[in-house]
This record gives sequence, structure tokens and C-alpha cells, in this order.
Amino acid sequence: MLKVKNIYKKYKQEEVLKGVDITVEKGDVVVVLGPSGSGKTTLLRCMNFLERADQGEMEFDTISIDMHKVSSKEIGKIRQKTAFVFQNYNLFQNKTALENVTTGLIVGRGIVKTKAVEIGMKALEKVGLADRASFYPSQLSGGQQQRVGIARAIAVEPDVILFDEPTSALDPELVGEVLAVIKQLAKEGKTMVIVTHEMKFAADVATNVVFMADGKIVEEGPPKEIFLRPKEERTKTFLRRILPQEEYNI
Amino acid sequence: MEINYKFLIDTFYIVLAAVPTTLKLTIIPLLAAAPFAFTIALIRLQKGKSLWKVPVSAYVTFVRGTPIVLQILMIYSLLPSLLNALMKAWSFDINVFDWDPIFYAYIVFTLNIIALLSEVLRSAFGSVEKGQLEAAECAGLTKVQAYVHILLPQAMVVAMPNLCNLTVNLIKGTSLAFLMTVKDMTAVAKVSASYGYNYIEAYLDVFVGYIIICSIAQVLFHFAEAHMGRYRLSKQK
Repeated sequence: MLKVKNIYKKYKQEEVLKGVDITVEKGDVVVVLGPSGSGKTTLLRCMNFLERADQGEMEFDTISIDMHKVSSKEIGKIRQKTAFVFQNYNLFQNKTALENVTTGLIVGRGIVKTKAVEIGMKALEKVGLADRASFYPSQLSGGQQQRVGIARAIAVEPDVILFDEPTSALDPELVGEVLAVIKQLAKEGKTMVIVTHEMKFAADVATNVVFMADGKIVEEGPPKEIFLRPKEERTKTFLRRILPQEEYNI
Repeated sequence: MEINYKFLIDTFYIVLAAVPTTLKLTIIPLLAAAPFAFTIALIRLQKGKSLWKVPVSAYVTFVRGTPIVLQILMIYSLLPSLLNALMKAWSFDINVFDWDPIFYAYIVFTLNIIALLSEVLRSAFGSVEKGQLEAAECAGLTKVQAYVHILLPQAMVVAMPNLCNLTVNLIKGTSLAFLMTVKDMTAVAKVSASYGYNYIEAYLDVFVGYIIICSIAQVLFHFAEAHMGRYRLSKQK
């Protein structure tokens, strides 16, 4: 459904992405892992054109796009079909939780207000925050804000939701509530691409794990393969460094 | 020294009658300057190079770097003759020198406020997190929609204290309009005083007049900020 080929991205002299391919089919939960600085977030941001790739092609359903020379009209089209969940939530500060969810529907997609409010309340219910609908972001905890962020993403019924380290900015005790919501979405068969550092969670929800290092994809496959029988040395060292810490969390 | 109380009170009413002129000299330039100031602020906030950046920055620097008295004197001595020459050249039968001088006052104050307001807006927009625009665009809003619904409301709250400052300074600055023979509060008081040399009384009246107007403006801005910024409520605790 969504295919990205051969993405290159450079910041000044620093090559961040050196030819990355990624394929997402309907119902897939693709988890992108890797050490910091490996280009995971940049890849995700390029897929939604928050960053402009220097080179690369995208195929989204029937649309195919040159990711460097993409027009703002094409970007608009892609963004109507996708949703993005940010690391630091980025809720609209001047809008209530409900308005955060409905603004994209009313303003961005021209849906009438009563219908949008209905959709918005349903989305908030799904993330367990219907009783916080009239609260402003400044009155919500980090975990609640991120759940509103997820509600905002699912309300527009996107073909794919992109998660950029959705729990990295949260207090450890609030991580669980956000992961539970994402797990629920995975169960419902939502198509998602998730950048995360939560290994246990990754193993639970992923249909496909992509391991990145130094701007390239080192290894990809089903979670069982990657976590239990990694082939590449780079993957093994990464997992060895990460997994022992996970023991404490269990 | 004796204070002429009758004159003091009579002149106060004359000054009050000129309050609308002072308000017009404040509000009309503010409204007229707003669209230009927004444009300049957005141009100056753009990343990278833009053809417009240099002239626009030069304009702001020029206005901020010269006293408003000088701007008034320059424009008031240049503009009428310039317009007159233009009218003659195009053979319009209009006598520029018959126009109400308040027209020139509007122009001077608008030109001045464009520069100052653009700086207020620039700092206000700069204070809104970059992620807000990204989130709006990801939610399917166009850039214009993002500015109208998300960025502008947040920027205006941040801008309120500076905007209040600017407005109060403008209210006080309009007293210089007497240089262009505009009959604002200061001018009418001076004229009244000149008949019997009751300057102290006249100045006291004007003094009180400005304090009242400026205080009301500050209270209004305070309420506006509280209302527009109500989404920040829990942060202020």
C-alpha cells in the first residue's frame, strides 16, 4: 500500500539516510528500531514530508511521487491519508482535547461540526479520555496528552499512522497507558509505522521489525526472527546492549 | 501662583471633547498597519534568503532609529507638496492643502506603527513552537488554515503585553499631532490656554485626560489577554 524507495537525506555534510527502502502493507505494524542517530525519526518525517528528502520515490496506493520534487498539492494529498503522532505530542495549545481532535476534521477536511464532534468523542472514548474532552492540553498529564494525540490521529481514519517515539518524552509510569492504546489499535488491524525504544512492546505488536543503523536498514523481518535469531552482527550488539535492561521492566 | 479653577474645569470639558480625535488617531493607524505589519513579520521570519527581507528590514530599522517628531516633520513638509505636484501633473482639480491635516497624521502614525507592530508580531510568532505548525499540517490543514486557527491565536496572546505597550505609547505619541495642526487633546488645551496664559491648568487637564485613557487601555488589554490566554490557565498557577 505504501512503498518508499531509496531515500537519501543530508543535513549539511551529515548523511542521515543513505538509501532506505520500506514497504508497508495494509494491516501491517512496522516497528523501526535502532540506536539514536540512526535516522529512524528522519525516515518517518520524510515519509510525511515534514523533512524534504534529497532523493527517493514514494508509492501510495495509486499515487507515485518523487520525494524530492514533490509539489505542495501532492504533499497535501498524502497528508490527508496519513496521520502523525509526535514525540512531544504537539497538541494545539489553544484548543481543548476535543477541539484538538476535531480541528483536522472541520478545518482540514470540511466535515460539519456536529458530525466531527461525534467522531471526536468516539476517538476520545477509545483512548479513555471522553471525560477530559473540554480540558486544555496544559491541564492534562503527558500520558493523557499523548493519548489525545493518538485520538487526533485515528479520528481522521488515515490509511497509515506514523508514530515518532510516542513514549520517549513520558514519565516511566505513564508509558504503559499510551502503549496500551497503541496495542489496542494494532489488534483492530490499523496500519502503523512506529519508531520506538520499547523493545518488549515492539516484540508484542510488530508484524515486521526494521533495524536501522547509520542511515541504512541493517536487517528486517518478523519480530521473532529479529529478536531471537538476528543474523547481522550489528543487530546482535544492539540487542545485547538493550535487552538486559528490559529484564528489570518485566 | 493662582490656579484658575473655573478655567481648569471648563478646559477639562474641552479636552474631553477632543478625546475622540485622540482615539481615532490611535485606532485607525493600528488597524491600517496590522495587515502590513503581519506581512513584514512573516517575511522576516522566513528561513533562508528572500528578496524582500532586505528592504523590509531596512524600513523597520529606519523607523525604529528615528524620532517620531522627525518622521512627522518630514512627512508633513514633504507629502503635501509632493501630492500637490502629482495632482497638478495629472491635472486633477484638487487642492491638497484643503485636506484635513488629520489625514497626514493617519499616514505618519500608520507608517510608524507598521514597523513597531511588525516587531511585536515577529517576536510573538517566533515564540510559538515549531511543532504546532507541523502538527497542524499533519492534521490536514493548509498553511493559511494553520496560521488562522492555531498559530495566530497563540501568537496574539504572547503579543498582548507588547501590544498594550505599543498602544499606550501611540496614545501618548498622538499628542505630537498638534505639529500638523490636528486638534487633538493636547492641541485644544494649548489653544485654550493661550488666550489667558493659563498653561498650567490646561496641561493639568491634558495630563489627567491621558492618564484616564491610557489606564482604560491597559485594563482592556489585561482582560483581553486573560480571555484569549485562558487555555494557559493551569500553567499560571
